[in-house]
Amino acid sequence: MHPIVLNRRSLFFYLVVWIPLVETAVVMLSLAGHFSSEESWALALPFTLGLAIICLSPFYMCRAMPFDRTPVWRLLGSHLLAAMAASGLVLAGVNFTALGMDRALPGLARRAGPVMPLLALFAILIYLLSVGLHYAGLAIESSRRAELLARDAELKALKAQINPHFLFNSLNSISALTSIDPSRAREMCIHLSDFLRTSLRLGERITIPFAADLELARTYLSVEKVRFGNRLRVKEEIDPACADCDIPPLLLQPLVENSIKHGIAGLVEGGEIHMSAKRNGKSVYFMIENPFDPDAKENPNSGIGLKNVRDRLATRFGAAGKIEISVEQGQFRVTLSLPCEKGRTV
Amino acid sequence: MGGIRAVIVDDEELARHLLLEYLRAEPDIEIVAECGNGFEGVRAANELSPNLMFLDVQMPKLDGFEVLDLIDREIAVIFVTAYDQYAMKAFDAAAVDYLLKPFSQDRFHAALDRARRRLAEKQKMPEPAELKAAASAPGQFAHRVVVKDGARIHIIPVEKLDYAEAQDDYVALHSEKKSWLKQLSMASLESSLDPARFVRVHRSYLLNIEKIVKIEPYTKDTKLAVLTDGTQIPISRAGYARLKELMAID
Repeated sequence: MHPIVLNRRSLFFYLVVWIPLVETAVVMLSLAGHFSSEESWALALPFTLGLAIICLSPFYMCRAMPFDRTPVWRLLGSHLLAAMAASGLVLAGVNFTALGMDRALPGLARRAGPVMPLLALFAILIYLLSVGLHYAGLAIESSRRAELLARDAELKALKAQINPHFLFNSLNSISALTSIDPSRAREMCIHLSDFLRTSLRLGERITIPFAADLELARTYLSVEKVRFGNRLRVKEEIDPACADCDIPPLLLQPLVENSIKHGIAGLVEGGEIHMSAKRNGKSVYFMIENPFDPDAKENPNSGIGLKNVRDRLATRFGAAGKIEISVEQGQFRVTLSLPCEKGRTV
Repeated sequence: MGGIRAVIVDDEELARHLLLEYLRAEPDIEIVAECGNGFEGVRAANELSPNLMFLDVQMPKLDGFEVLDLIDREIAVIFVTAYDQYAMKAFDAAAVDYLLKPFSQDRFHAALDRARRRLAEKQKMPEPAELKAAASAPGQFAHRVVVKDGARIHIIPVEKLDYAEAQDDYVALHSEKKSWLKQLSMASLESSLDPARFVRVHRSYLLNIEKIVKIEPYTKDTKLAVLTDGTQIPISRAGYARLKELMAID
């Protein structure tokens, strides 16, 4: 069934829209064919009602022939043919009612003959207009659905991001620290809580400033630094111009996590994570680089975190968001480039 | 029963520290080594003859299961790890016990009691290969095989493993014109490797199909596989049937 018919409210509004059209048809008829006012109404009412009903029918054809995936000749041909058929059907209806009213308005059907081509043209145009509106409606609906899907995918990705391994290992470090160095244990509890609280809070937002997302990644690093001790070293080169660019939340932390999990954690001596960010006009570039063990069981490329970042960039920015991965001489590097949006923080 | 000689293998210093602290309350246990990675763990196990090992699973170089794989002697193992749903099954089946980080002193003490009992009874410890098989997720196969080469440890990535040949209690692993012997049954090696890549073409041969250049007829029922380096491997009738199915040839 057509969605307009399914909802009483929308059906009512749909019919209301046709009232001015009935009046247009009445005026048109009385001007063109010297009909009396009653006669004009007797022709215009069945005409408009028929048109109102038949103009719902393109729904099925439009759904069957997606605008962007159907050859133009087929699109034009099919809808034009359908428009002519629809107009024929409506005019047959008009003619039939006119004949039925022959006693009240004698000779109406016969005298309506000359205006039929005009009505036919009018019906075809209205029908084609309805085809256009249907395509517009379908496009709005599909983009809304795509947006919902993208949002859903993002939420799933975010939920998957808090890694239980990280959590339990951190808690174990805290447990060890309580007797060796209670104040460091407390400090780590605070870092860990900060990280969890902030990632939950930021995860609900659509965009956050780059600086906030970087701060979250730093909090994550400060927890991991306690765990890995001097095996984990960090170098930063952050262009302050990036700070107020709006980016999707929790974009950087998964990259840092990947560097540790598939890089530093696999090295006996550990290594240095190098993060840098640059701003170039309307784009932000973020680069993270870490050493890794080329003989490791798992490739640094295989992490689920990287896949999530790639998917989120693609759904959010399409071709404007890029992630590039390069591996050379035991160094693993990920570079993000994405538009620096502003003032869209939600 | 004499004292227990224990080795700690964990890459995180704080995690090792915690174990040391808990062990201070257990006077019958002597800590003979503290190891920060798998290699050190294997060396300590083979040189210092400990009978108990606290073993982390995720570590650089060699993971906990690979460490077990490389230890020749019997040793009671207590896994000490953060949560891992698949590994837990293996611990249930095979290890003396497992401790999930973070754990209490009481829980630690209970694990030690189990180890003491196990050592006193001289129960047979499970095969490391069994452990490894139970610990891997379904559909997940080994990315590499570790072998001991005298005092050294050699890692063979599966894509460089040409074929394996059964030799009594051992399997000879052939890779890049060299071969290594590993104490292992052909069946357990076969089950740890990706069946889409390694085919048992013969009772005594497991072959990496990516290394096959051609297949030639040999006798009436058997064939010969010629590998990239020219090695010829016999294929039995049943082996050829398996190979045909995998490579979709008629």
